[in-house]
Amino acid sequence: MNSSAAVETAERRLHPVGMLLAALGTVRRWFGLAAFPGVAALVNGEFGMRALLLILLGVALVAVFSAIWGVLSWRATTYRVSGGAFHFKQGVLQKSERSLPLERVQSVDAVQGVVQRVFGVVGVRVEAAGGGGEPEISLSALSRAAAGALREELTRSARQASAEAPEEPVVLRKLFVRDLLLAGLTSGQIGVAASVVFGASRAVEDLLPGDLAGRIAEALITDSVSPALLLALAVALLSWVLAILGTVLAHAGFTLSRSADGKYLHIRRGLLERHESTVPLARIQAIKVVEGVLRQPFGLAALRVESAGFGAEEGVSTTLFPLLPRKEVEKLLRAAVPEFDAPLDHLEPPPGRARRRYAFRSALPVLVLAALYAVLFFPWGTIGLLLALPAALYGILRYRAAGYGLDEDRLVLRFRRLARTTVVAPRGRLQSRGYSVSPFQRRVGLATLKVEVASGSGGAAFRLTDADAEVAKGLIEALSERAARTAAREHST
Amino acid sequence: MKSEPGQRLDPRAKLLWRVTGALQAAPILAGGAFGSYALSARADVAFYLAVLPVLGALALAILFVFVLPPLLWRRWRYEIRPLEVDLQRGLVRVTRTLVPMARVQHVDTRRGPLQRRLGLSTVVFYTAAGPNEIPQLAQKTAAEVRDRIAELTRTADEL
Repeated sequence: MNSSAAVETAERRLHPVGMLLAALGTVRRWFGLAAFPGVAALVNGEFGMRALLLILLGVALVAVFSAIWGVLSWRATTYRVSGGAFHFKQGVLQKSERSLPLERVQSVDAVQGVVQRVFGVVGVRVEAAGGGGEPEISLSALSRAAAGALREELTRSARQASAEAPEEPVVLRKLFVRDLLLAGLTSGQIGVAASVVFGASRAVEDLLPGDLAGRIAEALITDSVSPALLLALAVALLSWVLAILGTVLAHAGFTLSRSADGKYLHIRRGLLERHESTVPLARIQAIKVVEGVLRQPFGLAALRVESAGFGAEEGVSTTLFPLLPRKEVEKLLRAAVPEFDAPLDHLEPPPGRARRRYAFRSALPVLVLAALYAVLFFPWGTIGLLLALPAALYGILRYRAAGYGLDEDRLVLRFRRLARTTVVAPRGRLQSRGYSVSPFQRRVGLATLKVEVASGSGGAAFRLTDADAEVAKGLIEALSERAARTAAREHST
Repeated sequence: MKSEPGQRLDPRAKLLWRVTGALQAAPILAGGAFGSYALSARADVAFYLAVLPVLGALALAILFVFVLPPLLWRRWRYEIRPLEVDLQRGLVRVTRTLVPMARVQHVDTRRGPLQRRLGLSTVVFYTAAGPNEIPQLAQKTAAEVRDRIAELTRTADEL
């Protein structure tokens, strides 16, 4: 790592847009306080020149103060690379200087907010490896050239350590516009959007004076159609559009590429707010292939990764690719994350005697509720018991989705929780593995398998319900360190 | 794989769980007593109905203090092997967990006020997915288990 001629640069400042960003930040922080005297006057019922003046004065004060503060903090913020470390100084009154050794630089990501886009600059986020407690260093505005240069300086030592010339990353897959729209149409976020729309419509109703809302509705709706039905339809349609819009904003231009040295995956996405993130392959713990309810019938799936310990927000669970045909998943896995390339089909299902337990398991809560309902509202309440049928059917669907596979030392688990999800986790990534047996399961020789992987700052657990008890034990044994070593020894002889 | 891990918790664990069970049972008993008192004050409620709450609370208290602790203790097993930690626990649903030594990041012992009184200690070892516990070991055993795990973790990393 030290073989490289150490990079030395002079102290540099942010792009002048940084002043604006700092000023805006200050405005956001102080606005409430500045408006306070005026608002207080308003609340006291003195609506007039005095209140207005107070508000204006507050706003003007904040504006002037923010502008000055923006310039000062821009002047105080400098960065340089020297002595094998990245130095970052900031702070107007309370100065701080942080130094980050270059070999601890984990990722250099570009972030573009709306303001940055307008002025054609980028924000840069430098994240440190190890120790979840350390916050990242974030530079609010750099020109594209400066950002490129900084990235180059910060990652040079790492790249030279791997003795490879800097090369452009290889683009593995891009999201086409057609697929983007499809992703929006089939995303399961409709429910969330619907609740938002519904809440908003209620708020509008409350805000409109008198019975204006009612009259508008009357004017719009003919007598022949039930207004409630129409409202529901409108809400559904609007939420669908919102869901599509949300997906389009988040995932437009989604590009997955792999660095030339094969150690990092780069993800670029976003329409208004452009996100760039880097996922070190070494930190990926598990791959999830998620086939949503609306997607599975069309043979579509999304790819997600569980990755550990980088940044509090990003590490948990990230989309690796938002939508692709299920048939092409394995090909993309092979190209992007070869360590996780395992056959995803032809998994071993749980034994046939587990089917009844799956049906019963999902019907039980419905049955209990329905029984209560039936007792409370006797003759007609019994109809609720019929709901147990679809619940049991869902249980059967869950049974049909469940399965496991072991490909060398990669564990593949498939289960359904509305969406059918296939998880691939290599033995070396499992933090713990185990099984549990309930009294009901013991009677029929079944067990629930559970493995844990690291994810974000905590862990994620994956379960295979009602596997054959002996099979579960066998899997746990096969995934042990000892089994791996025996296999390695046999392989070498 | 062995049918069960070899080591048990310290027998004093039962005493400790009885005490914590009693502490949990106290508010339930108080609630039951109050319920019975409120019912008996009403003239239209039969006596056998009025005593039901307090009897129910009493049954729960007996369960917490006398029945569950020995069952829990009999089920709890652990074993520290060179390559992994083997745990078994659970009253109704029996759970077996294996944690590879190579995944263990660090290991602590921990003692609450009640544990200190009884000379017991809990070993907690952490993986990247979160903590795992071996509770209620004699203080000396806990220290040994902790040091053993720490030692084995180091050798597992070197291999």
